[in-house]
Amino acid sequence: MGRPTLLALFEVKRFLADRGALAFSIALPIVLFALMVGVFGGDTSFNSTAHVADLDGGEAARELIERIEDVDGLDVRLYTEAGLNDALDRSAVLTGFVIPAGFTGALESGTPAAVRVKRRGNGGDAGQITAAIVQGAADGLASEYELRRALGVLVSEAIPPEQVEAHTGVLLGDARRNPPVRVVTQTLDEQAEEENILDRLLPGVIVMFLLFSVTLNAQTLIEERRNGTLERLLTTQLTTGQLFAGKFLAGVSRGMLQTIVLLVLAFVVLRIAGPAALAQSAVLALVVSAAASAIALVIATAARTEDQATWGAVFITMFMTVFGGTFFPIGDSGVLELLSRFTLNRYAIDAYEGILGETATLGDATFEMALLGGVAVVCLIVARALFRVSSEAK
Amino acid sequence: MARMEDFLAATGLTKSFDSVQVVDSVSFTVRSQEIFGLLGPNGAGKTTTIRMLSTVLDPDDGDVTIGGHLVAKESDAVRKLIGVCPQELALYPELSAIDNLVFFGRMAGLSGSEAKESAADVLERVGLTDRAKDAVRKYSGGMKRRVNIAIALMSRPQLLFLDEPTVGIDPQSRNHIFDTVLALRDEGMTVLYTTHYMEEADRLCDRIAIMDEGRIIALGTPAELKAQVGDADTTTLEEVFLSLTGRSLRD
Repeated sequence: MGRPTLLALFEVKRFLADRGALAFSIALPIVLFALMVGVFGGDTSFNSTAHVADLDGGEAARELIERIEDVDGLDVRLYTEAGLNDALDRSAVLTGFVIPAGFTGALESGTPAAVRVKRRGNGGDAGQITAAIVQGAADGLASEYELRRALGVLVSEAIPPEQVEAHTGVLLGDARRNPPVRVVTQTLDEQAEEENILDRLLPGVIVMFLLFSVTLNAQTLIEERRNGTLERLLTTQLTTGQLFAGKFLAGVSRGMLQTIVLLVLAFVVLRIAGPAALAQSAVLALVVSAAASAIALVIATAARTEDQATWGAVFITMFMTVFGGTFFPIGDSGVLELLSRFTLNRYAIDAYEGILGETATLGDATFEMALLGGVAVVCLIVARALFRVSSEAK
Repeated sequence: MARMEDFLAATGLTKSFDSVQVVDSVSFTVRSQEIFGLLGPNGAGKTTTIRMLSTVLDPDDGDVTIGGHLVAKESDAVRKLIGVCPQELALYPELSAIDNLVFFGRMAGLSGSEAKESAADVLERVGLTDRAKDAVRKYSGGMKRRVNIAIALMSRPQLLFLDEPTVGIDPQSRNHIFDTVLALRDEGMTVLYTTHYMEEADRLCDRIAIMDEGRIIALGTPAELKAQVGDADTTTLEEVFLSLTGRSLRD
C-alpha cells in the first residue's frame, strides 16, 4: 500500500475519531434531510381501510361495498359482526361499518335503510373521513334505488319493468362514468407536479454538506501546517508530492464516506430508486468528492491563516449552495441560471437528480461528470503549485 | 571537512526570510554518540538551523552532511538516519498515542508489524504503555511531550533532533525526558538538543554551541564555556549565556 493511500486511510480514521466532524458531516445532514422529508415529502393522498360487516349479503350490499372499494386510497376489509365487534373492543379498529340484514330489501321496497357506523371515541381522523365516504356511497346508492323504484311505478303500465330497469341502469352507468359534477384537483406549479421533490432534496443536501466539508478540510490542513505535523511528515520518508496526494485522497475518501452513508440511508429508509441507481450515484459521488477535495486544497494552500481558509471556504460554499439550485430548480435563463453555471452544485445535483429519479443514467451525465472532473484536475494543478507544508518550507 | 567521528557537519549555513537574515554562516559539527546542545535566546536561529539540518528547509547557502550524506542532494538517505522532535506538539490529539506512533512509523518506512513493535518499545521507553490507547488530547502536557519524543524515536534514528522538548512541563516529566535522552546517548544515538534552560544543557550536553542573532558565538564543552567567563567550578552556564548574549530582552 502506497504512502498516499496510508495517509488517506489515516485521515479517515481521524475523521471517524472526531465527533464534531462526524456530527457536522453525517449526523446533521441526516437530521436535515429527515426534517425536509417530514415537511415536503411523503405520500399526502388519503389511504385507509373501511372495516365492513355485511350482514345482508344482498345485491345492494355488494354494490355498496364495490363502490367503497372503487374510491382511490380506500380498501375494504370484510368481517363477521362478531369479528368487527372484537376488533373494535381491542381498538384494532377505530371505526367499523355494519350493513344490516334486510338492507337490499329495504332499498328495493323504498323503506328506510341504514348503514350503522360503530366507532371508538371519535373514530380517528381516517375513520371520520372513511365514514363520510361510506355515507356518500350509500346516499348515491339509495338515490339510484329510489329513482329505479319511482320510474318503475310511473311507467309500469306502459313499459315492461325489465325494460325500465335496463334503461335506468344504462343512464345511471353513464352518469357514474361521466358525472355531471366533478371535483378536479390542480397542483400549482406544473414542474413541481411532475417531479418528486425528494429527488431534488437528497442531492441538494448531499452536495451542500459535501461542500461544507470543504471548509473542514481546508481548516484541518491549515491547522496541521500551524501545529507542525505537515512539516514533521516531511522529515519521514514521505515526499511533498506524496503528502499532497495523500491529502487529496483523504478529502475524496471523507467525501465518499459522507455521501455513501447518506445515499444508503436514503435508499434503505425512503426506498428511493434501486440498487443500480445507488451504484451509479456512488460513481458520481467519487467525481463530486474529487472536485470538492481539490477545491479544499486550493483554499488551504492559498490561505495563510485559519481565518482566511474558513471565510474563503464559507464564501465559496455558500455561493455554490445558494446559486447552484440546491433546493429549487433554477430555470433555463436569467441571472440565477448564469450564476449557477459557476457552481459545482448545479452540475452535481442535475446528475444526481436524474440518476436518483431513474430518469437518466450515468451515461447521460457525461457532460456533468466531465465538467466536475475538469474542475478537480484544474484545482489540483493550482493547489499543487501553491502547496507548502509551512510558510517557509519547501 | 567532516572528521570520521563527526556524524553531522554543517558548513556556512545561511538562511534569510523576507530579507531578514535568520541564520548567518553557521558552521559546527556533531560527533557520533554525543549530546550536542544548541543554546540561544528567542530568535537566535536555533529552530531554523534544525529545520535546515532535518531536510525541511533549503539553506540559501552552505552545506550539511549527515552520516556521510549531503542533505541537499541525498535527503531521502538522510531522512532514514534522523528522527525529529519539533518544538510544537506535532501529533494528532484526537487519536491514541499508539495510533500516532504507528502512523508516523509507517510514514518513516516501517512495515505494519515493525511499526507496531517499535511503538510498543518507544511507549515503554517514555513510560506511556498503560495509556497507549487513550486519545492524546486526554494527556497531560508532560505526557504529550513524551509522545512527541516517542514519535521521533519510531524509526530508531541514528541522529535525534530535539527542539526544546521540555517546554512547559512538570519537573517529573522533565526528569524522565533527561533520563531517556541520556539512555539513548548511552545506547549509541547522537542527539542535537536545543533548549532555553541552562541547567538542562549543563546536565545533558557533552558540547554546547551558543547562538545569537543567527551566528554561533561560542562552542565547547560546558566546562570550556564556563572557563571563558570565570572559574569553571563556580560559574554557571546561565552566567556564561548572559555574558555572551547580553541582558537585553529578546522577542
